[in-house]
Amino acid sequence: MVLKMKINDLASKSQWIRQTIFEMAARTRQGHLASALSQVEIIVALYYGGFMRYTPGNPNDPDRDRLIVSKGHATMSVYPILADLGYFPEEELDRYGTPEGLLRIFGNTSIPGIEATTGSLGQGLGIGCGFCEVAKTENKDFHTYVIVSEGEMYEGSIWESAMFASHNKYDNLTVILDRNNKIILGDTEDMLALEPIADKWQSFGWHVIPADGHSYESLLPALDEARKTTGKPTVIIAKTTKGKGISYMEDRHEWHYLVGNEEQTIQAREELKTNCISYEGENND
Amino acid sequence: MTDKPLFPRDVFIDELYEAASKDKDIVIISADFGAPALDRFRDDLPDQFIHSGISEQHMIDMAAGMALCGKKVYAYAMAPFLSLRCYEQIKAALSLMDLPVTLLSVGVGVGYADAGPTHYITEDLACLRALNGMEVVTTCDPESSREVARLTLSKPALRYIRLDRDPELPVYNGDFSSAIDAGMHELHSGDDVCLVTSGYLMGRALATKNQLAEQGINAGVIDLFRIKPLNGGALRKILGRYKYVVTLEEQGLDGGFGSAVLEAVNDHGISTSIKRLGLPERYFFENGGRNYILDNNGLSVGDISKAVTDLLG
Repeated sequence: MVLKMKINDLASKSQWIRQTIFEMAARTRQGHLASALSQVEIIVALYYGGFMRYTPGNPNDPDRDRLIVSKGHATMSVYPILADLGYFPEEELDRYGTPEGLLRIFGNTSIPGIEATTGSLGQGLGIGCGFCEVAKTENKDFHTYVIVSEGEMYEGSIWESAMFASHNKYDNLTVILDRNNKIILGDTEDMLALEPIADKWQSFGWHVIPADGHSYESLLPALDEARKTTGKPTVIIAKTTKGKGISYMEDRHEWHYLVGNEEQTIQAREELKTNCISYEGENND
Repeated sequence: MTDKPLFPRDVFIDELYEAASKDKDIVIISADFGAPALDRFRDDLPDQFIHSGISEQHMIDMAAGMALCGKKVYAYAMAPFLSLRCYEQIKAALSLMDLPVTLLSVGVGVGYADAGPTHYITEDLACLRALNGMEVVTTCDPESSREVARLTLSKPALRYIRLDRDPELPVYNGDFSSAIDAGMHELHSGDDVCLVTSGYLMGRALATKNQLAEQGINAGVIDLFRIKPLNGGALRKILGRYKYVVTLEEQGLDGGFGSAVLEAVNDHGISTSIKRLGLPERYFFENGGRNYILDNNGLSVGDISKAVTDLLG
């Protein structure tokens, strides 16, 4: 089945995920919250915006669409969705990052709905190519989505896989680049410039779609175009803000692995009561 | 049994070919590395052959993705690049997810002489055996290569298979398969001392045995083809009755073959005295061929014989 919600409902999901993952991180004092907040609209659009096909109760359905969060440190924002879709009980969210819990700081394949163990940057795309190859040779029409961080653009293996995917015309593959410009020590363009990143992907034979990674009006048509593209893989370069939704984290590279003190926790809870993303209209049909 | 030397890669891939003809889930990914047997495989089973480009890291990640979809994947490349070039991928994608992928590594040791140290791999035993769940196997003749290929088909697991670059003559005579569970085989039984090795150095171990026999020394020869997991019980049974053991490896001594034997001997309370022979800690830029390098770096038959006689006093 595929879930396709209206934009205002997608926006509500965004807010719910931000609040949920903030509490998960606040409880354990662990997790890469800022990176997880950066990709919220991307994963909500995939799971609730009419794209990911899945079979409730059967996470191993061979015909399912597959999502690999190659930036494995940000996997925590997918957990509330997987609980919501019934992959595991919602109580697991409360046990995130504890010895008793199912949900780890980094995603791994012991968790239902997590397609690959990630955390070592630059490997999700190659694993995704394996999925695409099997789909092609077995004439299956499942689609593979890979969310990559811009930090992964520095890994050579990404470009090995990018070259391979376009040569093999994997139009069943969509990469979403979570482009928040921040790596651990600063801004990518100051540390080691990635731009022009769109040209790089284009020169590797990919269909490139720029998008606003916090706007459903931008992400939904981009994902739709990616799905309809034939003969080549697509990369959506989603402009995002690291730490989106919590003002003191937004666009601040130093929050890569921090949650905040008591005062900041109160502030974040207050801020997350208001939805941080703006949208127009109520219908995306 | 034939006396014609055979390339282990062809023996292995021919075995895969037969199985892959009936099972479309068997796939070979090559990082631009060939073999006559692979040409037939590519021609006849094009959907089961993938050229990854000279991209070993991508090859391993892709193998992981296909294995997650149920494919039986063989990643095939030159040994130095299939082992260390993509070591992180082998750890993070294959070992961490415990995927039954076979790494088919060709040209171990200084097998690619005279290409030089970029093309030699004298660290792969130390590195690969450090990975969780990794089975590490070295073949030494056509029969062992064939039987190990069959093993990968009948009992899929994460394996690093070390094949020699050079063609090999028979060592085994129909008895390799019975030794697979033990991971080792006593090719010749000796009195007080035995030589323990695997792969290309088996020829030198057997030649040393013959040379020692002329001096009235009856040395045993043991093929320890599976260094991980190392079967402590089997090792105790075989080594337990030898007073002296000499290990031979076409590797550096740090963490490699001899180290694994020492660890197992210690951990399993085997009472024997061990001398490790391997390559010195330096890179080999000089030309002259594989045997030249081995002969001049402590692994000549004379060197090995002397190590034995020194041990025996």
